[in-house]
Amino acid sequence: MALLNVENISKKFGGVCAVDGFFMEVEKGEVVGIIGPNGAGKTTIFNLISKVYETECGRIWLDGTDISSYTQEQAARSGIGRTFQNIRLFNSLNVLDNVKVSCDYKPRYSLIEAILSLPRTIKGKRETHEEAMACLRAVGLEKYALEKPGNLPYGMQRRLEIARALALKPKVLMLDEPAAGLNPEECAELVRFLKDITQKFDIALVIIEHHMDVVMNLCHKIYVLEFGKTIAVGTPEKIQNDPKVLAAYLGEEED
Amino acid sequence: MNDYIASLIQTTCISLIGVVSIFPLTGMTGLFSFGQAAYMAVGAYVSGILAVKLGMPFWLCLLLGVLSCGLLAIIIGYPTLKLRKDYFSLMSLCLGEAVTAVLNKFGTITGGAAGLSNIPKKSTMPLIIISAVVTVALVALFKNSRFGRMSLAIKADELAAKSFGINVFAHKMKVYIFTSMIAGYAGVLYAFYLTYLDPNLFGWTRSSEWVIFLFFGGVNSLTGSVLSTIILTVLPEILRFASSARIVMYTVLILLVINFKPNGLLGEKELRIPVRKQFRTRTRG
Amino acid sequence: MVLFYVQQLINGVSRGAVYALIAVGFALIFSVLKFSNFAHGGLISVAAYAGYYFSTKFDFPPVIAILCTALIGAVMGIILNYIAFYNLQRRNSPNIFYFVSSITCGILFMNILTLMFGTTFYAIKPFFKNNIIKIGNLIILKMDIMILALTFVLLAALMLLINRTKMGLALRMVSIDKDTAMLMGVNSSVVITVTFSIAGALAGISGILLGANFTIDPFLGNMVVKGFIASVIGGLGSLPGAIIGAILLGVMEVIFTVLVGDILSPAIIFVMTLIFLLIRPQGISGHFVTEKA
Repeated sequence: MALLNVENISKKFGGVCAVDGFFMEVEKGEVVGIIGPNGAGKTTIFNLISKVYETECGRIWLDGTDISSYTQEQAARSGIGRTFQNIRLFNSLNVLDNVKVSCDYKPRYSLIEAILSLPRTIKGKRETHEEAMACLRAVGLEKYALEKPGNLPYGMQRRLEIARALALKPKVLMLDEPAAGLNPEECAELVRFLKDITQKFDIALVIIEHHMDVVMNLCHKIYVLEFGKTIAVGTPEKIQNDPKVLAAYLGEEED
Repeated sequence: MNDYIASLIQTTCISLIGVVSIFPLTGMTGLFSFGQAAYMAVGAYVSGILAVKLGMPFWLCLLLGVLSCGLLAIIIGYPTLKLRKDYFSLMSLCLGEAVTAVLNKFGTITGGAAGLSNIPKKSTMPLIIISAVVTVALVALFKNSRFGRMSLAIKADELAAKSFGINVFAHKMKVYIFTSMIAGYAGVLYAFYLTYLDPNLFGWTRSSEWVIFLFFGGVNSLTGSVLSTIILTVLPEILRFASSARIVMYTVLILLVINFKPNGLLGEKELRIPVRKQFRTRTRG
Repeated sequence: MVLFYVQQLINGVSRGAVYALIAVGFALIFSVLKFSNFAHGGLISVAAYAGYYFSTKFDFPPVIAILCTALIGAVMGIILNYIAFYNLQRRNSPNIFYFVSSITCGILFMNILTLMFGTTFYAIKPFFKNNIIKIGNLIILKMDIMILALTFVLLAALMLLINRTKMGLALRMVSIDKDTAMLMGVNSSVVITVTFSIAGALAGISGILLGANFTIDPFLGNMVVKGFIASVIGGLGSLPGAIIGAILLGVMEVIFTVLVGDILSPAIIFVMTLIFLLIRPQGISGHFVTEKA
């Protein structure tokens, strides 16, 4: 069985079917892309997998475990890391603390140990610090550890979101438009970076992206959505020549 | 020492424990509670009644007073912390009213509106001052731990906090119980300091006073809360304001802060102890 | 025995009518600005004193006194907007700031009144010479009927204003998205000012009627909490819901007062509201907006 297995999930908003019977399989080490016009239901799929929305129908399996009935935090703990389309960093925390938050659910020390500053607290704080710094180094932000995220440029904020998700030690990392607002050189750099972390952290990557060169250069498999329905699945070459996809993307293809 | 100054110091210290008690809840987690004085009331009354009616020793009264606050916090927190933040604030306000109502109703035990008197005087000046210092230290350690960070993350963005494995409800419960027990402790000290209790001492004005002090000092700054408590308690005393005039002064200050300096007096600044510096330099390496 | 309960029902409805009047003003602000305006209580207290001056000191006839008080309320509403919320709107502050600011203003108004008038009670001259209508053994107060009728008239007028006029359209636009409304040429700050003046006028009317129904003290406006609970029960921001919620609350309060006594009723109301919120957080009529990821 695949690492992440999504079977027939759907989501309705009022009468509108945002996602209609979506299936997906993601293998370890694989990079999977989800593309489609705006409003096709891509972010809704992320929200369903990361349990922001409850699963009303269908099943989600992660590494052989059924996570369909998990809460959002259980899904995160079991290995679903994600970023948000409109960056959602904790603005009152500094860069390092933003990453540390991902380690904080681990019961390294209890509340009583914390307020009495017992030995386990000091050890726990050190472990958290080292893990968080490792993630910051992986995305090249260690120099900005004590800055507030609001002071960083847009691209770095996106990287910080990735670092924060990596600190969860995810099995599957889901990135919602990681290349939004980047120029072509930065996109190429992002592709290298993402390939690198996929190997280094031994994870599967699922991305939503509008930049076709990023998707085509990075992904092993692509799902194309339109109005909540999957209209095509396959390798980048296959997708590029699919007549249905061309129809959906008419006028938008050469982006 | 002059009696007046002594009583001023002791009441300020007890207020300080109260304000610091809501810091993790209101300042850090962003849950505005307008009923934390209810926990002070419970701590005060439980310990006071045990001492007066059953003649229990002080330390046992203190323990049971604080524990009963923890218990009440579990019962009240379980349903209310699931609600939206503004509903929680409202329910906290109603909790204050409800506790006062219960204290008035069961007059045979609590003394009702006439009050509960003859509590032995056990809160001495050194005990109160040490308690205040220790409480501030405990809350500072809370702030610097993973619990403090989780609180700030929840305040900033609950949905994102959940996406990174934080059980928001469980965390809020922990903070609520923790802060309520500190408020209860302030209540115990208060009961054994005043030797007399009546329900009106713990109305919603006291709860909102705490929130106001906190807001004035800067919701993210413990140092700010401590400073503002000291300034705002001592100043009206020196100026000998009537209680309404004092409240008018507080509210005008808050409006000025909200309008012109929304992060409060100190914003996020904290007084740092040198130990932190090592931590900081290590971060750079 | 049946008669006794019918009488209690009548008492409950008339208490609910008072809450409804408060809840409508409260719900109006919530529907447009999405925060719970506790300063409404402060306005009610101020209006009650103003009403005392108009109706008793200057001896205006009731209708004129109510209108004058409504005017004072409207002016106070505008002042409130400028001292408490204007800067927050400009800065796009988080919701909790509005909440704190409004509570602070409510406390401020009430304590200024305490400084000016002390805590002695004032009474407004009765509007009706003979306040009681007797139907068999049932007693109905004219004042209560008047409050109930006025509440419905005001509700109808507000609904017409919101749903049928250009101003109402602008108001609804601002309530959905302030910034987009501004891009569409709606002057949001004018709309918000108008909203506050309407809510202020409602507070004014509530103030003088509450003053006439009870006695006046600076903390009369604390009844706003009841208005809040009522509009939560009805569904925050829904005007008709607020009225239904208010009457429901009034009836339940009277019933519980009969059953457990006056002193304990805040505790009962606390538990009841809590249970209600857990079962149906969106209120009787409202629908819940979930956060978007």
